[in-house]
Amino acid sequence: MSSPDHRAAGDPQRPFGAPLKRKEDPRLLRGGGSYIADMKMHGMLAAAVVRSPHAHARIISIDTSEAERDPRTRAVLTAGDLPEIEPLVCIDAEETTKPFNQPVIAGDKVRYVGEPVAVVVASDRAVAEDIAELVLVEYEPLDAVVDPERALDDGAPIIHSETNLVDTLEYEIGDSEGAFDGAPHVISERFQTQRYAGTPIETRGMIAEWDERTQSMTLWSSTQVPNTVKGFLAERLGLPGTAIRVRVPDVGGAFGVKIQIYPEEVLISFLAMRLRRPVKWIEDRWEHFVATTHGREQIHDLEIAFDDDGQILGVRDDCITNTGAYLQSLTLVEPFIGVAMLTGPYAVPALRATSRVAITNKTPMNPFRGVGHVQAAFTMERAIDMIARKLDLDPAQVRLLNMIPTESLPLARGIGNVLAGEIVYDSGDYRRCLSRALEISRYEEFAANRERAREEGRLIGIGIGAFVEETGLGPYESGTVRVEPSGRIVVLSGASPSGQGHLTTLAQVAADELGVSIEQVDVVVGDTDLIRWGVGTYASRTAAVGGVAVRNAASAAREKLLRVAADMLEADASDLELAEGAVRVVGSPGSSAPLAEIASRVMPGEELPVGIDEYGIEATDVYHPSSNTFSYGVHISKVEVDRDTGMVKLLEHHVVNDSGTVVNPLILDGQVQGGVALGVGGALLEEVRYSEDGQPENPNFMDYLLPTVETVPIIEVEHMVVPTPINDDGVKGGGEGGAVGAPAAIANAVADAIHPARVNATPLTPVRVFAAMAEAGLVSPLGSGR
Amino acid sequence: MSRHQITLEVNGEEQVKEVDSRTTLADFLREELDLTATHLGCEHGVCGACTVLINGESARTCTVLAVQADGATITTLEGLVAADEDLHPVQQAFWDKHGLQCGFCTPGLVLSVAELLERDPDPSEDEVLEVIGGHICRCTGYTKIREAVAEASRLIRESPRTVGEGR
Amino acid sequence: MKPPPFDYEAPETLDAAIALLGGDEDAKALAGGQSLVPLLSLRLTYPSLLVDLRRIPGLDGIEQTDGSLVIGAMTRQRAAELDDRVRESCPLLGKALTHVAHPQIRSRGTVGGSIAHADPASELPATMLALGGKARIAGPGGNREVDAEALFTGLLTTALEPGELITAIELPTPPANAGSACVEVTRRRGDYAQAGCVALVELEDGSVADSAVAFFGIADRPVRAPEVERAIAGLGPAEAAHEAADAATRTIEPGSDPELSDDYRLHLVGVVVRRAVEQAAKEAK
Repeated sequence: MSSPDHRAAGDPQRPFGAPLKRKEDPRLLRGGGSYIADMKMHGMLAAAVVRSPHAHARIISIDTSEAERDPRTRAVLTAGDLPEIEPLVCIDAEETTKPFNQPVIAGDKVRYVGEPVAVVVASDRAVAEDIAELVLVEYEPLDAVVDPERALDDGAPIIHSETNLVDTLEYEIGDSEGAFDGAPHVISERFQTQRYAGTPIETRGMIAEWDERTQSMTLWSSTQVPNTVKGFLAERLGLPGTAIRVRVPDVGGAFGVKIQIYPEEVLISFLAMRLRRPVKWIEDRWEHFVATTHGREQIHDLEIAFDDDGQILGVRDDCITNTGAYLQSLTLVEPFIGVAMLTGPYAVPALRATSRVAITNKTPMNPFRGVGHVQAAFTMERAIDMIARKLDLDPAQVRLLNMIPTESLPLARGIGNVLAGEIVYDSGDYRRCLSRALEISRYEEFAANRERAREEGRLIGIGIGAFVEETGLGPYESGTVRVEPSGRIVVLSGASPSGQGHLTTLAQVAADELGVSIEQVDVVVGDTDLIRWGVGTYASRTAAVGGVAVRNAASAAREKLLRVAADMLEADASDLELAEGAVRVVGSPGSSAPLAEIASRVMPGEELPVGIDEYGIEATDVYHPSSNTFSYGVHISKVEVDRDTGMVKLLEHHVVNDSGTVVNPLILDGQVQGGVALGVGGALLEEVRYSEDGQPENPNFMDYLLPTVETVPIIEVEHMVVPTPINDDGVKGGGEGGAVGAPAAIANAVADAIHPARVNATPLTPVRVFAAMAEAGLVSPLGSGR
Repeated sequence: MSRHQITLEVNGEEQVKEVDSRTTLADFLREELDLTATHLGCEHGVCGACTVLINGESARTCTVLAVQADGATITTLEGLVAADEDLHPVQQAFWDKHGLQCGFCTPGLVLSVAELLERDPDPSEDEVLEVIGGHICRCTGYTKIREAVAEASRLIRESPRTVGEGR
Repeated sequence: MKPPPFDYEAPETLDAAIALLGGDEDAKALAGGQSLVPLLSLRLTYPSLLVDLRRIPGLDGIEQTDGSLVIGAMTRQRAAELDDRVRESCPLLGKALTHVAHPQIRSRGTVGGSIAHADPASELPATMLALGGKARIAGPGGNREVDAEALFTGLLTTALEPGELITAIELPTPPANAGSACVEVTRRRGDYAQAGCVALVELEDGSVADSAVAFFGIADRPVRAPEVERAIAGLGPAEAAHEAADAATRTIEPGSDPELSDDYRLHLVGVVVRRAVEQAAKEAK
C-alpha cells in the first residue's frame, strides 16, 4: 500500500502530485461533451412537471381532462395514478427526528412553491409545457410561514402535523456554565447566513429507459450518487436491484445539490415503465430555483466568553436552521455541522450548543458545498474579530492565541453523530497556516494603508477567515484497477464526478502505483452495472477516499504484475520494479517485460504460472476510512467599500490551504478558487428571497445574482501540506474549503473597512452595508433631510 | 403556430430546414443539427452558455429564434476547428491553464474569447473582463479563465490565425 | 422554459408589417429579440403573431445629418456603439450603449427595440430623453414623430398606437464642447441599474451654461430632471455636482423597489446625478 518509490508527491518525474493537464479537456473543449440534455434515444418523449404555485395549500381537485383530450398528450400522471410509493428518505434521521418526509408527488397538500403535483409527457419539451398549462388544479390556499422563528412560535401554521420543529440537537462539551460565570467579557451577537441556491450551470436532468426485453430500467441521471439512486429506485419501483442500471454522463457541475434523490427520479422512471418509451426530463432554470434543494439558511445566537488577553473561555450557541418544507436525504448535516464545527481551529474549553431544525414553506434544504461549515466559520470568525475590537487587539493575534497547537493533534472534539462519526482533528498546523497567510497577504502593511485611505475618504479593510473542515467522509468508496492485455490500465471508481477532473486525478493515482503515464490509464465512472459498489462525489472525499481505494486496488494489481513478471523474467519479485510501462529487473535494464505481455500471460486460454491461480490482472478495493480527514485553511481578503453606495469591491483574496498531500496542484487550485467564488457569491450577491407568503422573489438569473468575472478578484492560492495519518498517501479533502473560508474573510474585511458599523449577516448587499454605515454615523444618506 | 423554411450556414455547411416559429436557435442547433456543444444554462439570456458566433459576432442563441437566423452564418464550438485539426489557441490555452472544470459554460466562453482575440489579439484588461462578463462560470472562480485568455492572447500573437480558418 | 406557440411573419415592406401588426391586437413586433425572446421562454407573454422586422429595407443604419444623428430602429446596439459617427458626434450614446447588458447581447439587440421596449431601467430611453431626441414612427395612419418626452408613458409602455412601429431615432447632436456621462449603480456589470443618470453639461467660463439630466432605473419610466438642470445653471463643476444631488433628492420621487429601501434609492438618485454631472463637467471644454 505504500507509494512505489521514495520520490515525494510533487516530484516532476512522478504523475502523483504533478500539475498535469486534464485528460477530460480536449474532448470538452472541442464540443464533445455529452451532458444529459445532449442525449437522444429512439422514440424518446419529453416530460414537464406541473408544480405548485402556492407555498401552502390543500389540493381540492386536479382536473386532467383537458390535458388528456389534447392529441399531443402521451401521458398525464398525478398522485392518484401512482401505487403507494414510500416517500423520499432521510438517511441521517435520528430517533427523535419527526418523519416529515416528502412524497414523490403531492397528494392532498402542497408545502412549497415548486412541489410536483403532476407530470405530463409529450413529443418534446415545448409541447409538454403547453400541456402542463392545461392541467387544472384547484387549491385551497393555507397560511404559509417562511420565517424559521415564526414557524416555531405557538400559533404558527402547522405544515405537517403537531409542530414545525423537526428536531433539536444538543451538545455540551466542558463546563460552559462555569466558563461564563465570572468571565471577564462576554459578547452576544446574532449571526445570520442566507439561503443559497446551488445553480450549477447545468440544471438537473434524467432520461429513464425501460427495456421490455430484459424487464429492466436504465436511468441516465446527472446525479452525484448513482449507486445510491439505484438502491433507492429499486425500492420505490418494486424492481430487483439487478433490474436497475444508473448511468451518469458528463455532469455540468453539482456542488452538492445533485446528491439528493429527487421525486423526478421516481416519477420519470415510473412513466418510462408505463409508456414503454424513454422519457427525458430536463429541469429548467426556474425549476432549479424552486425544485432543487437550497442550502445554508441558518441563524446563530452566539455568546462568547473571554478573558482580558482574548483567550476564549467558552461558547454558547443557539442555532436555528430553516430546512424548508420537508426532510431530504441529509437534512441534519447542516444543523449538525453548523454547531459541531463552530469552534473551528480554536481550543475552546467549553461549548454548549442547541441546534433546532425548523420546517417552513420554502423549498427543502440539503447539503451544498461547504454545508454548515460556512455558517460556523462566518459566526466564529466574526466573533473573534469582535473580541479583538473589544480588547483593542490585533485579530490575527487573538487567533494565534486561541488556535489549537499542533502538538495537541490528533484531537477528539467530543462531538459526533451517526453519519460523521466522532470528530477527531487528525493533523495540521493552524498557526503556521495563519502566519503564512499573513505573510503572503502583507497583512502587517495594511493597517497603515487603511488609515491613509480613511484620511482620503476611502474605506478599505482586511479580514481573516480561518476554518477547519470535515472532509473525506465515508462510508466507503470503491476502486477497481485492471491491466488489460493491451497494456492499458482501466480504473473503475464509484466516485461519480461532476466536473472536478476525476478522470485525471484517479489516473494519476493508478499511474503512480503502476509506473505508467496517465495517458495509459482509462478511468471509468458513473455506471452501476460496471461499478458494483460505489457511493459518489460529495464532502470533499474523492481524493481522500476514492483515491485511496484506487491506490489500494492498484497496489494489489501491481503485486500480481510483479509475481507474474517474476515468473516470466525468472527473477525474484523483490528484485523487480515497475517503470515506464514495464516490469524491470533492478540493475539489469535489458531484462524487462512490458505490462501488455504480463497481462497477456495470464489471459484465459493461457496456462497460468505456478502460484498464480486467477486469470487476469485485476483488483478491487472498497475502502472504508477509519475516520474523516480535517482540512483547514486561512483566507485573507481585502476590500474597498464605496461609501456612496455601500458596494463592496474585493481587492485581493489570498488562501493558504491544507488538503494534505496534493494529487494535482492545478486541479486543487481550481477547486479552491471555484469555492472562493462561490463564497464571494454568498458574501456579497446571492440570496434566495421569498415573500412572506412563500413566493420566491428571484427564481431566475436576472435576479439571483451569481458572481461574474469582475466581482471576483484574482484568487491567490498556496498549498500547505501536512499529510493526514488516516490514509497512506496523506490526502485530505479539497473541494469545499474555498467556499467555507471566503464569506468569513470577506465579512471581516467589510467590517474592518466600515468599523464601527455592524456586520453580522450575509449577503453584504450594498443596501445592507449602506444602512449599517448610516446607522454607525459613517455616512449620511443624501436626501435624508427631506 | 407556423412553420418556416430557413437556410443558413452552420460551421461551413449550408442547412435548409423547416422549423417551428417558436423554436429558439439554441434548440434548433441542438435538436435539429445535433450540435450539442451549444449548452442551455438558463434559457433567458443571462448565463452565456449558449453563445455562438452569428455572422462572426458572439451572441446568445437562447434569445434568438431559429427563424431570425435565416440567412445567417453560424459557428458553434464544433466548428471552431475541424476534428482533425490542432486545438484553436483559445482551446489550447483553456486546456493548458485549467480554464474549465465541468465544461458546461466553456463552449460559449471559448467562442466569445475567440471573437475578442480575433478582433484584437492584445485586448485591454477591461475588454477581457467585459467579454468574460457575459458568461457565468460556477466552477472555476474565473482566475484560471483569465489566465487562459492571457495565454491565448500570447499564443495568437505568436502565431496569428483566424477563427474557422482550417475548415 | 420554451416559448408558447405563436405565428411568425417576416414581411419585406414596412406597409406589410404595419398591416400585420394593425390587424391583430395580440401581434408583437420582433426586432433583435433580446428582451422579447426571454419573456416568451418564461411564458410571461403569449403573442398570437410575431412580426419580424429584419427583412424590411431601410430600417438599419446610421445617418448623420446637419445637427442630428438618425439611427435606424434595427441598428444593432453593438454596431452603434462601435460606429465612428456615434463616437464623434454623440459620445453620450456610445457611453450609454456600453452599459447595455453585455457585448453578446448588444450584437443582436437593436436600438429601436430597446426604445420601444421602454424598460425603465434601460439606458437608451433616458439617453434619448436627455438628448431631446424623437422617434420616427410609421403606422396605419401614416408617419409621425414623437418627442422622447411624450414617448415613454409608463412601465414598458410607449405612445405607440396599435400597428405603429418606430423606424428610426433622431438624436440632436450636442455641441462639440459639451461633456457627457452615463453613470449607473448596478450590482454587477451589465445588470439593470438600481439607479442611473445621463448628463450633458456645457460650460462657459468654467460655469454650467446648459445641461440636460435624465434618470433611469428609478421609476416606471425614464425621468428628465429640469429642476436639476435649473439648479446647476451658472455653477462651477464641483458646486454643480453637489447641487445636482441636492436638487435631485429634493425633487425626484423614485418609485419603490422591493429590494431597496426608499431612503437608499433616493440616496442613489443623489449619488448618480452627482457623479454624472461631475464627470460630464470634467469632460466639457
